[in-house]
Amino acid sequence: MSMLLEVSGVSVTFDGFRAINNLSINFAEAELRAIIGPNGAGKTTFMDIVTGKTRPDEGTVIWGEKNISLLGLSESQIAMEGIGRKFQKPTVFEDQTVRQNLAMALKNPRGPFAVLMHSKTTANAARIESIAEEIGLTQSLTRRAGELSHGQKQWLEIGMLLAQEPRLLLVDEPAAGMTVEEREKTTDILRKAAETRAVVVVEHDMEFVRRLDCKVTVLHEGSVLAEGSLDHVTSNQTVVDVYLGRGHA
Amino acid sequence: MRKSFIAENPSVLWFLAALSLFTLTVVLLSEATGTAMISTSFVKTLGKTLCLCLIAIAMDVVWGYCGILSLGHFAFFGIGGYAIGMWLMYARTETIVLESLQNQVIPPTPQEVSDAIGNQIFGVVGSSEFPLIWAFADSLFLQLLMVVLIPGLLALVFGWLAFRSRVTGVYLSILTQAMTLALSLYLFQNDSGLRGNNGLSGLQNIPGFEETSQATISIVFFLASSVALGAGYVFFAWIVTGKMGSVIKGIRDNEARVRFLGYHVESYKLFVFTVTAVISGIAGALYYPQAGIINPGEIAPIASIYLAVWVAIGGRGRLYGAVIGAAFVSLLSSWFTGGGAPDIDLGVYRIQWTDWWLVLLGVSFVAVTLFFPKGIGGLFDYLVRKPS
Repeated sequence: MSMLLEVSGVSVTFDGFRAINNLSINFAEAELRAIIGPNGAGKTTFMDIVTGKTRPDEGTVIWGEKNISLLGLSESQIAMEGIGRKFQKPTVFEDQTVRQNLAMALKNPRGPFAVLMHSKTTANAARIESIAEEIGLTQSLTRRAGELSHGQKQWLEIGMLLAQEPRLLLVDEPAAGMTVEEREKTTDILRKAAETRAVVVVEHDMEFVRRLDCKVTVLHEGSVLAEGSLDHVTSNQTVVDVYLGRGHA
Repeated sequence: MRKSFIAENPSVLWFLAALSLFTLTVVLLSEATGTAMISTSFVKTLGKTLCLCLIAIAMDVVWGYCGILSLGHFAFFGIGGYAIGMWLMYARTETIVLESLQNQVIPPTPQEVSDAIGNQIFGVVGSSEFPLIWAFADSLFLQLLMVVLIPGLLALVFGWLAFRSRVTGVYLSILTQAMTLALSLYLFQNDSGLRGNNGLSGLQNIPGFEETSQATISIVFFLASSVALGAGYVFFAWIVTGKMGSVIKGIRDNEARVRFLGYHVESYKLFVFTVTAVISGIAGALYYPQAGIINPGEIAPIASIYLAVWVAIGGRGRLYGAVIGAAFVSLLSSWFTGGGAPDIDLGVYRIQWTDWWLVLLGVSFVAVTLFFPKGIGGLFDYLVRKPS
């Protein structure tokens, strides 16, 4: 099976601390994947490398059918290649309306002059409406994003990623700080999104991962410790030790 | 072209109406075209204020909307002034020199004319040679082109270097300040080719209009400044409304998010920085013929800091706020420092506003920043807030 993203042999060292250690991990097209691991396992650093924020010391990151190396590209170029990223903290533009947030994210030409001459079209408006419906914010399109609740902001950010029409969505701890109902809804949004694209969720919360019901990769000290179904990895003695040893249940 | 930006930004129409009314009033009360209730020198002050308002809205776009605290935009303003000043000075000196050589028995050669002009202009710095940068000074058209090109190119190169290296925040402010300081120090030198600390003077005399009174010239420049401010306001409103506005406000609020959405943040910053620099140059080119003189002190870093203070007091992130701040503070400043405000005698100490004005300005700046972060323009929010 051809892979959408192949990360192989990647290592990163920060001031002598090896955050990622010879990490190899692959993602297929239209796959839902959870990445779990204790604090400091390298989950966020992994995302930083894929999205171009951090350059690895060694290793390769190969993307798509054309086997493009992502390591030479800037953050915006990687985003244009089709990788969307959701931050741990909800990061939306609080000063602007939900509609403006989504409009900015919509897949359209990104150059300054194209944006300057951009005019609203009914096609774009329809796309915004459909995304708003998907994330349950149809009623809030004209509200300022800053007025939204924490959960709604998280959904808005996911909606902005969907508007980018990425082929790979990296989502960092989407369920943090959410109520039970909000979590359920987040699970639905992510599972639906994963029908047409690869979605990678980094999460601490085992209950949430169980609900996602997907293949799980366990990271530990910067490399893959185990991979498989959640039941499979939680029955792995090393995984249990790593989690219990760090005080996680 | 987006059609609806004025509909989305109703302040544009209000602003244009207020500006027209103000302009009309001044014209009707001026010496040249009206009842002479406003003196020519005050017309010039008002015209200069309009130019300051224009650079203030440019500053608001680059700082208030895009989040780049540039402390160097007055350098672009000064360059615009120098560019137009070179033509004004050259053309006027040429007229005077030709007049004085008229009565010679042997007609002067072009070289003699050029030497005489050079002597007149550069004698003050002990030179008579025309430096290379004066090569186009005899052409109004080319110097007008310089007004736009030099600030634009300088901003483009400087911005490209700074933004490419991801210099942001206070570090970028320091860099821009260093740029304007370096330029000002360079211009202070006698061999800079721009008459050192003497600067360029006599700019209020417009070549070809020697017979026209200053009263008329002042009104013409006042009107030109008013048109430029109106056009600049509409232009910037167009930029900051709609999707472009969304992106640059996004860069201000969360640069990383914009970057991960796929926008090349550096291009946007460079665009905003360069466009505002060009408009600042135009504002300077309109300002200095009304001021009559430009010298390197005008480009000193403090000028650009004042600019930031005006915008902060007027209210960042709203174009009319920048206009209010620039007009209010600069007019108040000339009132206080010009001896308009009566001194306060406390018995033991006499508060002289020419000295204490800066203290008052500093205190107001701190107070606005602490208590009214939206500035004077923020008051409009209360007025226009719709009941929800």
